[in-house]
This record gives sequence, C-alpha cells and structure tokens, in this order.
Amino acid sequence: METLQEFFSFSDPSIIAVTVGAVLLSASSAVVGTFTFLKKKALVGDAVAHSVLPGICLAFILSGTKNPLWLIIGAFVTGWLSLVIIDNITLKTKIKEDTAIALILSVFFGIGILLLTHIQHSGNAAQTGLDSFLFGKAAALVGKDLQVFGIVAIVLLVTVALFFKELKLIAFDASYAKALGLPVKGMDLLLTSLTVLAVVTGIQAVGVVLMAAMLITPAAAARFWTNDVRIMTVLAAIMGGVSGLSGAYVSYVAPAMPTGPWIVMIISAIALTSFFIAPKRGIISRGVQQRRLQRMIMDENLLKELYHLGEKDADIYKARSIEEIVEERFFPKDRLRSSLRRLRREGFITKENGHWRYTEAGRQKGQRVVKLHRLWELYLSKYMKIDPDHVHEDAETIEHIITPELEKRLEKMLEYPEVDPHEEKIPY
Amino acid sequence: MKVEAQEPVVEFHDLTVSYHKKPVLWNIDMTLPKGALIGIIGPNGAGKSTLIKSAMGLLPLASGYVRIFDEALDDVRHRVSYVPQRESVDWDFPTSVLDVVLMGRYAKLGLLTRPRKADKEMALNCLRKVGMEAYVDRQISQLSGGQQQRVFLARALAQEADLYFMDEPFAGVDAATEAAILSIMQEMTAQGKTVIVVHHDLQSAAEFFDWIVLLNMRLVASGPIDKVFTNEMLQETYGGKLTVLAEVGELVRKRQIPSREKY
Ligand SMILES: Nc1ncnc2c1ncn2[C@@H]1O[C@H](COP(=O)(O)OP(=O)(O)OP(=O)(O)O)[C@@H](O)[C@H]1O
Ligand SMILES: [Mg+2]
Repeated sequence: METLQEFFSFSDPSIIAVTVGAVLLSASSAVVGTFTFLKKKALVGDAVAHSVLPGICLAFILSGTKNPLWLIIGAFVTGWLSLVIIDNITLKTKIKEDTAIALILSVFFGIGILLLTHIQHSGNAAQTGLDSFLFGKAAALVGKDLQVFGIVAIVLLVTVALFFKELKLIAFDASYAKALGLPVKGMDLLLTSLTVLAVVTGIQAVGVVLMAAMLITPAAAARFWTNDVRIMTVLAAIMGGVSGLSGAYVSYVAPAMPTGPWIVMIISAIALTSFFIAPKRGIISRGVQQRRLQRMIMDENLLKELYHLGEKDADIYKARSIEEIVEERFFPKDRLRSSLRRLRREGFITKENGHWRYTEAGRQKGQRVVKLHRLWELYLSKYMKIDPDHVHEDAETIEHIITPELEKRLEKMLEYPEVDPHEEKIPY
Repeated sequence: MKVEAQEPVVEFHDLTVSYHKKPVLWNIDMTLPKGALIGIIGPNGAGKSTLIKSAMGLLPLASGYVRIFDEALDDVRHRVSYVPQRESVDWDFPTSVLDVVLMGRYAKLGLLTRPRKADKEMALNCLRKVGMEAYVDRQISQLSGGQQQRVFLARALAQEADLYFMDEPFAGVDAATEAAILSIMQEMTAQGKTVIVVHHDLQSAAEFFDWIVLLNMRLVASGPIDKVFTNEMLQETYGGKLTVLAEVGELVRKRQIPSREKY
C-alpha cells in the first residue's frame, strides 16, 4: 500500500519519466494497432513484433552500443524485411498468408534468439539489459532512451491523427479508396511503417514476445464498447495507457521483474472484462437480449394458442386451464407458468379460479400473431412457390419478427386474403 | 454484333484481363455512349465485375487499354465514380451511415483535410435522394441489404461525377427501392451523365437500359437495346457451348460413367 502511495505521489522524478514513457509507448502502439485490427492483420503485427529481434541484436553487434537510435534502425530494417518477404511469398507462391507469416516469424525470431545468445556469451560489458527486449523493462526507460522512444511515440500519434480519414477508408473499403485515386499503396506503406515503429518503441516496455498483444488487444477490447472508429481509437489508447501505467508501477515496486507480462496481463484483463460486461456487444448483454427474445416468443406463442383454442369452440374469451393449453400445444410446465404470470402482470390475460382468460389487449395480440403466421404461409406458397406442407416451420419464426410496416405491405400485396394455404381463416 | 457509340465516353481497346495468368476477359473492344443508362449483362463468372474493376484501374491489364473521356483514367478520376458490389466490404466496420457517404467527398478534400460543413450538407442531400435521410447516424452494421446498397449509391452520388460504374446496385433490393434507384439513374442520364450498371435480371433489363453490353468472357454484343437485346444474342451469351458442357457434365453424373482410370 505504501509503495502504491509513494508511486502515485510521483515524488521521484524518475518515476514520472518512466510512467510518462510507458504510458506513451503503450498508448501509441494501441492506436496504430487499432488499424492493424480493423484491417484484420493481427497476425502481421505478431510477425513484425518477433522479426525486430534479429535487427536489434545485429545493430548492437555492429555498433557495439545500446544507443536507441541504432537499435531502432536495426529493428526497423528486419521488421520491414519480414513483411516484404511475407508479401512476396503470398504473391508469388501458392503458400497462403498465414503459413507465410508463421514461417517468417519463426525463422526471424530464431535468428534473433541465436544472436542474443551469442551476445550474452561474448561478455561485452554494454550488453547488460539487452535481454530486457525479450520481456520488456519499463524501468529501463530513462534518460536518452526515453527521449528517443517518447518522440517516436508522439510522431506515431500525430501521424495517425493526420491521416485518420484515409486510414479509416482504406481499412473499410480499399478498392473504393483506390477508385477515388487515393494513394492506397502509399498509405499501406505508411501503416506498415507505423506498425514497425510502434513495435520497435513498444518492446522497450513490453518486450518482443508479447508485443503483438499490445498492438491488438486494446483495439479488440475497445471494439466492444463502441461503434465509432474515432471513439474506438481513443478508447484503445486509454486502455493501452492504463496497462502501460501498471507496467511502470511494477517496475518501480519490483525492479527485477520484467514488465511486459504485467502490462499484457492488465490489458488482457480489460479485454476480458469488456467481453463480458460491455453493453450490446458484451456476452452478458447478448445473453440478456437472447433471453428477452425467447420470453417474447414464448409469450406470443402462448397468446396464439389461446386464440387457436378460441377458434375451435368459437369462444375466444373462454377461460382455459393449463391442461387445456398444454393439450393444444406442448410447453414445458415451468416456462408456461412463468409466461402466464408475466402476461397477467402485463395485462394481456386474467386469472379466474385457476383458469386463464384473454383481456381485450391479449386477444388483439394473439390474433395478430395468428394473422402474421397465416399471411406469411400464404406469401411463401404464393410468391416463393413453396409447397403448402413446408411453410409452417418458417412461419413459426417469422410471425414474431414481422414489423407493423411489413405487415401492412404483406396485407396489401396479398390483397387482404381470406384464408391461408391450409384454408384456415385469416383474422383481421 | 457491335455498335460503336456516336459520342463515346468510355473506350475499351482490345482489353484482356487475367487472374493468375488465366484470362477471364478476352479482347474486349467497344465504345460506350454519353448520357446513356447502360446495362452490362451476362451469366455468373462472365467477368462483369472484372470489366468495371479494370475500367476503374483496380486490376492490372494483361493487354489493351481503357480510355475515359478520351483521356487516361488517372487524369479524369475525379469525374468517375464507382459503386462496388455490396458484399465486397465488412459491414461490421465501426462507422456510421453519414461517415460512409462522406467518404465520397475524400477525393475532393484531398489528404489532411477534414470534411467541412458543406461536405456534410452534400452527403445529407445524397442520403435524401436515396431515401435514407432517416438513417444518418445509424451504425452501418444495423442496415438491411437494400439499405446498404442505397448507402453505397449515396456515397457515389456525393462524388458529383459524370460517369458512374455500378456493380449490381439492384441486387437484393425490394421493388420500391428498385424504382427509386432507377429514377435517380434516369435523372442523372437526363443531365448528360453516363451510368454503367452490372445487372442480372433479364426481364427488368429490357425496361431499364438504353444500351446493352452482353458479356461472357468475351464481348458478345454491345449496342442500343433494340438492336442487341434479341433472343439470338441472349442465346449466344447464356447458351452455346456452356450449356452443352453443362449438359454433358450432367450426363456424366447421371449415368455415373466411371472415370478413365477404371477402364
Ligand atoms: N480475385 C480473383 N482471383 C482469381 N479469379 C478470380 C478473381 N475474381 C474473379 N475471378 C474469376 O474471374 C471470373 C470472372 O469473375 P467476375 O467476378 O468478374 O464475374 P461476374 O460476371 O461479376 O460474376 P457474378 O455475376 O457472379 O458477380 C470468374 O471465373 C471468377 O472465378
Ligand atoms: Mg460480379
């Protein structure tokens, strides 16, 4: 608890630096990753993330320093190279994109690990900390490193903001963008460069191994909450930033601990929570909607059966026992009871000594469902030339979803028919 | 059977287009007239989409060229508009109807400029024209197929072009929408704009179009509807070798003729 307070009081200037750095890096990769996600190129992000490792190691071997500028250049070169090779393999051979990605990812990463092992055994004094590129170390973000990576992160954010409208259009409909004469190739190149850069900067905090998660997960989480790309991008940035903050904190509390896994764990937790609780798209909300729909169908079916019973003995408003209803059509007892209770509460039926009876509103609703069912059967057999024996099943679902406007159109089109294909009367 | 246009806006010159080296359009050579409502008709896989994609410069050409307004496409892109097949995009993309229609303004805006108020008004106007003004802020994932089609049409209208290529704008729309779209097209051609439409239904084609292009991997016919839309020509487009092949295939299947290895 104490460390938490200490950390968030930001009394130590190095805490501020590390925090700002980690948040900036995570947020900028989240923003770039939003477009990777929207273009359904998550795997490509993964390939780049792994392919920068040999570049970083080579830059270190060749320059002999851990100067971030060199490392960025090295990472950029191999990251790019991997993408070019993937593109060429997909274009010129029969190998599919996902296979090409897997192939390149493992080859590049393998070479990277090989080089890294070589460096570690060479006993170079400056190499300490290079392996933090594997799993990330936010605490390493100090001094010159922070400046360089911070600037790159800001450049990323600004570039995405400037080209937002083009990036959006190309992600949605690339061939239309091309037809408009927009520089689609150039923009694709730009996005690829941004992705590579985001990876290169992000690995400081997250590390090569988990970097792809940092690109894609914030976007995937944000997607649950909104249907607007702009809001989605901002949300992804915030979610990425929050997880970056947590990484900085871990780095402060436990300097020996790699930060990447922590950052990714936080963002994954955010994504998982979104998956469950987000309105509309979240799984809980969908479940609720599904249940509501099921109940509505159950209620409408029940009202319909009351109507059928009424038709049979020409007494629509007669009170019915549960046994009578179940005999007309089987419903599971518990669902039937709760549906009856609900319909009573909503004023569609009344209960008299254990028997159930339509109210006026209930009769209207039941009659409408019967009408829609028969209208739809007629429509299917008349316009779609479907055999009358085969129309019932379909009408069972459609009767619950036809809107009043559609209902009117159907009535008009069929010219207010008297009977359905089974010669049953259509009630108006 | 080929009639050259008096006042051509599009010229296909010996155009051949291939996918993976396999030609799907052979030596298309024709001119299309200004101010006409033109229907491109042919069976599935005839290369109709391929033809308009290559006219829009979306595909590499194996040979030949396309000239529009007697110039290279890149010099006149701002006067040409394209409505892709509805299925070509993911409608679950997080954006609104208005945003999609505004995309039609991007070419005029250029890079780095945001849509201005005037662009929004223009987009709203176009939505009104296609009867979608009530859906301005609707998420595109919540549109029906016919509504998606109309949004694409509005986006193309927002480009204020002189020549329109549309890939199956009538696919999956109801009768009322079909009539609405048709009247928009007729209004456009009355203003001297040219509208080129990929179409599937032969019956309505006879009513809609002034000029017909019959296509089946090669150009079967191109000309005014009264000259081209004949039984004989349609037979050649839809029938001929293909039906024979299909019939033979069916025979093989029915008789269960064993494959050659078994002899
Ligand atoms: N991307 C592609 N790669 C390979 N072959 C393709 C590709 N797109 C189309 N084809 C082939 O080219 C031919 C023409 O396709 P096209 O889409 O132009 O036909 P179409 O006339 O528009 O058909 P439809 O009526 O089904 O829309 C078809 O045989 C199709 O299989
Ligand atoms: Mg097509």
